[in-house]
Amino acid sequence: MVQYTKIEFLIACASSHVRDGENVFGGTGMPLLAALLAKETHAPRSNLISEAGFIDARPRNVPLSVADTRYYFGCAASLGLIETLGFLLQGGRIDVGFLGAAQLDEYGNINTSYIGPYDAPKVKLPGSGGGNDIASSAKRLIIMMSHDKRKFLKKLDYMTSPGHLEGPGSREKWSMVGKGPEVVITDMCQMDFDPETKKIRLMSVHPGYSVQDILDNVMFDLIVPDDVPTTPEPTQEQIDIMHKLDPNGIYLAKGE
Amino acid sequence: MTEAEIEDKRITLEEAVKLVSDGDGLFWGGFGYQRPPIAFAHELVRQKKRNLTIYTCGSEVDLEIMAGAGVASRFEIAFSAIEALGLSNNIRRRVSEGALQVEDYTNLAMAMRFLGGALNVPFMPIRSMMGTDMVNLARYRGENKLKVIDCPFTGQKICLVPSLQPEFSIVHVQRVDKSGNAQIDGIVGEDIEGSRCGKKLIILAEELIDETEIRTHPDQTKIPATYVDHIVVLPYIAHPMMCHDYYDYDLEHLMMFHKLTKTEEGWREYLDNHILGVEDHFGYLDLVGWERLNKLRATRPWGY
Repeated sequence: MVQYTKIEFLIACASSHVRDGENVFGGTGMPLLAALLAKETHAPRSNLISEAGFIDARPRNVPLSVADTRYYFGCAASLGLIETLGFLLQGGRIDVGFLGAAQLDEYGNINTSYIGPYDAPKVKLPGSGGGNDIASSAKRLIIMMSHDKRKFLKKLDYMTSPGHLEGPGSREKWSMVGKGPEVVITDMCQMDFDPETKKIRLMSVHPGYSVQDILDNVMFDLIVPDDVPTTPEPTQEQIDIMHKLDPNGIYLAKGE
Repeated sequence: MTEAEIEDKRITLEEAVKLVSDGDGLFWGGFGYQRPPIAFAHELVRQKKRNLTIYTCGSEVDLEIMAGAGVASRFEIAFSAIEALGLSNNIRRRVSEGALQVEDYTNLAMAMRFLGGALNVPFMPIRSMMGTDMVNLARYRGENKLKVIDCPFTGQKICLVPSLQPEFSIVHVQRVDKSGNAQIDGIVGEDIEGSRCGKKLIILAEELIDETEIRTHPDQTKIPATYVDHIVVLPYIAHPMMCHDYYDYDLEHLMMFHKLTKTEEGWREYLDNHILGVEDHFGYLDLVGWERLNKLRATRPWGY
């Protein structure tokens, strides 16, 4: 049996959602390693883009910032924000973007701005950055977040980035370029969205968890299909590649 | 052809910061870990500037310093955190205290607001932010934060963001000649638009080069001299962040900074030792230590 950490599992899982030939906004952290892993395995022609301006990047060391010079050497072009978020993303040319979330609602709407009321926030979070731009305009959105019951809510403290908003037809109403969230990956399960209602639905449960565990750990209604598969485990090859990509454990060593 | 005498736009950091008045708005250059004008933020603090409004996409340590020291009371930004390390502790505290107001935009929205200012048009249309609280909620800008309208041509919904022409643009680059031709290596972030949107442009550069070098590699010139009002040349302007092809970030210092800012007392300690407790930028660099700074020097071809 393959031994793996939670982080390795999540990276392999996220990587499986990147398809060959796609333009991918990778960012930093787990999404970056997931995009790089995809490129080294099933998606060799995927194009890794950092919103700071690096296009078709192949970093030899793991960048800490989207603007980190580690993204530079070996990339195909080194430009700027109007290029990446404007011409590429708003131009409808980004296939897949990754976002994190501090809170998520049942339509996949995202809060990364404030905990508590807007007028007297308890915690000021990082904000949108390019997140709202990516959620509005990437063809597909993959959300990665840690699984904490208090994060999966009926009502967000603040909606930073659009998921499926109020359900069917809402993204069309605002003429959004992208199609919205496709999958949410947590450390317990994967969730996707019911095509009819645009409501969040259990997609697969990670090894070691039951459907009931998931239901006990969300505060919104979750659609549970009759058949919920177990999320596939990473292969030894995937784990070995991850460690070649991040030999110093910049991200892989976190929270082991 | 006769050689015209070239104007020398160099001034000291102290002189440059003196030009800024309390209450001014500043476009703030750099992006993420790359080329933030940290030395300028330090001098703003030393000269006790107040009530500045900072316009940028996403700066990190510099925004923390300006929020923490009470130099800025308003930010119009998309992002604040120290990537890979965690939340912006000073900003978080100042927002909770009501000492700082953050008007939230997205990275694209801010870049387009700078582009609109540079083009001298009042607003720019974008396809982000609609349907979310970024449209529904505003602070001091109120109704003037943005407008969602029906496009007069297509009838589709479109978001208009107001252009910016602040008093100053502060931009950190790698190289400049004394007339102000400024060259940027690596990514430009939002500095092309940002450098052209301010009423005055102050360029901070790591290195002064000869005009003939500029004219030998003109494709590297991202900001021609005609836009530039003043130049400040200093080493390690972005420390503890990075400057492509010149030096890497100082992770140890960054982690120390982030850890100290977790408490107000810790932040005060950093402020007193590293910013107020030194005479000028060279005092700060001496305190950090030249042996350590030299170790951060970039190697080719990697650029870090």
